[in-house]
Amino acid sequence: MSKLLIDVGSTYFKVCQTSGISQYFRDFKKDIYDDLITKCGNIFANYKKEDIFICSSANGGLSTLIIGLTNSFSLKFAKNIAFNSGINIIDTILYSKIEESRAPSELVDVVIIVGGIDGIGKVFDEKLFDYLKNVQYSNIVYVGTKQDASFLSVQIPELKVLGNIITEKLHVNGGELKEYLTNLYQADIVGKEDIKHLYEITANQIYSTPYIVNRSLPLIDANFEVVNPFIVVDIGGATTDIHYSRDLVRDNIVSESGYDRLVFKKLGVFKSRETLIFAAKNNEFVYELLSYLNVTENILEEESEKALRILMQLSIFLVLYKVSRLNPLYVTLHLDLLNTIVLTGGITKVLSYEEVEMIMQFFYKKVMNLHATPNIVMDYDYAIWTLGMENKENSAS
Amino acid sequence: MSLLQKERDVITRNEYADSFDFDEIEDFIRNANKEMFISHHFKKRDRLLVQPRGGFPTYKKMFELYEEFMKADIDVLPLTIDSNTRLNDYAMAKKMLTLSEENEMDMLNGYPLVNHGYRTTRKMMTHFNKPVSLRHGTPDARLLVETALASGIFEIEGGPITYMLPYSKNFPLDKAFLYWKYVDKVCAKYSTLNEPINRESFGPLTATLVPPCIVIVIQLIEMLLSIEEGVKSFSVSFSQNGSMMQDIVTSNVLKKLAREYADMFGGEDAIINLVYHQWMGAFPRDKNLSDSLINTNTVIAAMVRADKIIIKTRDEAFGIPTMQCNAQSVANTKYTLRTLKGLPQVHDAEEEENLELEVRAIMDAVFNDPADTLWRKVFNTIKSGLIDVPFSPHIINNNEVITIRDESGNIRIIEKGKLPLPDRCFAYEKSKVNLPESKTEVINKIIHDIGAML
Repeated sequence: MSKLLIDVGSTYFKVCQTSGISQYFRDFKKDIYDDLITKCGNIFANYKKEDIFICSSANGGLSTLIIGLTNSFSLKFAKNIAFNSGINIIDTILYSKIEESRAPSELVDVVIIVGGIDGIGKVFDEKLFDYLKNVQYSNIVYVGTKQDASFLSVQIPELKVLGNIITEKLHVNGGELKEYLTNLYQADIVGKEDIKHLYEITANQIYSTPYIVNRSLPLIDANFEVVNPFIVVDIGGATTDIHYSRDLVRDNIVSESGYDRLVFKKLGVFKSRETLIFAAKNNEFVYELLSYLNVTENILEEESEKALRILMQLSIFLVLYKVSRLNPLYVTLHLDLLNTIVLTGGITKVLSYEEVEMIMQFFYKKVMNLHATPNIVMDYDYAIWTLGMENKENSAS
Repeated sequence: MSLLQKERDVITRNEYADSFDFDEIEDFIRNANKEMFISHHFKKRDRLLVQPRGGFPTYKKMFELYEEFMKADIDVLPLTIDSNTRLNDYAMAKKMLTLSEENEMDMLNGYPLVNHGYRTTRKMMTHFNKPVSLRHGTPDARLLVETALASGIFEIEGGPITYMLPYSKNFPLDKAFLYWKYVDKVCAKYSTLNEPINRESFGPLTATLVPPCIVIVIQLIEMLLSIEEGVKSFSVSFSQNGSMMQDIVTSNVLKKLAREYADMFGGEDAIINLVYHQWMGAFPRDKNLSDSLINTNTVIAAMVRADKIIIKTRDEAFGIPTMQCNAQSVANTKYTLRTLKGLPQVHDAEEEENLELEVRAIMDAVFNDPADTLWRKVFNTIKSGLIDVPFSPHIINNNEVITIRDESGNIRIIEKGKLPLPDRCFAYEKSKVNLPESKTEVINKIIHDIGAML
């Protein structure tokens, strides 16, 4: 029996049948369920609920604040787990500097507190509680030394205590935290009113799209001409995700997967257009890049197809810039070792190979000071998403 | 175009490398003199081949080093690669090479092969017309090996485990397996053109109290991974461990099981050779004692009936040896080998049986892993601690195995961690050791072992 795969994006629905993939621009005046039924109701009629699989990235993503003891272990490990669980990190606080750190102004979905290996006690004290008084959060989780767990639980009644993510060998032990964050993410997706309705269509668990894409990575080289190490850049309407081979980073983490993920919540060409333009205008290379693309900065104010293409090119550049050594805020990838860049998501429906190549050449020449560029692979048919969905479905059945 | 060839096109299209002309390279290998292939020399089996280590940054100094070696009647030339190239940092290697050339001062601890390029390096290799062995330590050696083979270097040392667990802290092991698969595929492809390209594993590992069962298991695994990709000439290796008897036992079991497992996995036509490394631990600061240690090593190499010996120099404790010192070491080793005639074949049935059981038990654990590919089975086995290399810096290594020397200098396992050793084997290991009362004494004994040969 054939399956029907649906991806609910922030801008498009993608529907995959054995006959091929079709996509539909969303009507934002309608809720997702009604919109989907209007556009694809006749397709659903041909499938049983058990054979329909849905993933969603629509408005997805939770925000987290991480408070940790050291950059080398607790913060690094917690960041890695959070990113891989699809959570957006809004800030990290080094505990030694917590007194001079400002609390975030917006509501944080989950605060993660981490530090110390089991056997070490009295890592945290009053400074933590003073800081947390000024933070608005929905969930708070502790994954540090178990010696401090009961003390913190008394002081923070709503605290969820999980196993320490740092083992006695200073290895990462991310299972429990990852499961907790993934469940929060799922609950957030499913909790959204219009996503909830989708269970009228499917009898299967609805997953987040980045989770599905990440599952497909080990299978990619069987389906594409991809040479390791590679990155997959998924540029959509609201967010941009990067999935990268772990040999592009040199951190002390043994993880289950050979691939990690980074998400840029405010880097998209449709819903996050304004923040993308803001980021572009603040980038030291962008004006040079615009002249290289033969346009002026006025293009950023235009609403045209040309402007959309330029924005997409900018987003490729910005996302590479953000993970390059010039921007130490995120994970720094050794982009000089990169052999392949795979582009997926809405961007592949608009940009040509040559337009992507231009950006890659500019980035490698200007930022990396290299003339050779990685191999570019365009996933025109969302094959990566369907690969991950099928993989998920096979492992479930 | 095959998928491998497409991948090769991407790998070799590198800022710092020569532009690769694969047709020309194939022609070169097809017509290369057989003397350049170590596999050709191995086939003759007429003597124990002697190979030093050595690498200088500039072409000129490398050439001079080879000239010195040739005077000492060397069998196999080394090409030791610098640290930057080993980490794929060709930009820094280029910078340091330029500084080395400008200032006539060595700013690199080896030869930056990728930056020199294969066209330049090949001139040197064909000039000396000897087998050359690539010595590096690179987890991702794809471009380096492409350059080496195109240069006329037909022996490639290393492997996904032996160049990871002793050398690297956090390079992802699963990726290393895939990158070495590529290396093996390319070696296998070129092996069809002339004499086979020889792949050599790096047996010494951390060179710190590594028990023979672990050494042998890893040698067998790397051999099988290479054979799986079509490699037809493979060298297993190990280094002096401090007990002549245990070296002989290791050699007997390693040779026997290497042949057995190779045949079992479709490598009946693969030629397997044995390489012996002189002492890989700390060397004495007294050069006369170093000479004596090197000489003893040479005797053991002959006793274990190795096909090749990789030698050290009397300057070992002081850094990179001079050309003359390195060449002198070659000459001395060759002299000692000439004086060793009529050596007896030695066996120790009890020790060999015990070691064989240990190796088979660990190999069975690897094959019983449910993964669908051999490399993934091995990866899972290392990750779960069923294979555990003592004192490995790599974060994936379990580091629970503790070893110590018995009264005869044999390395014995006193804490097996998760090694799936049969109870009787573990009991046998422990029965050979009189353990000190306190843990502190055990630790001190292990630390003291670093100076075993001083």
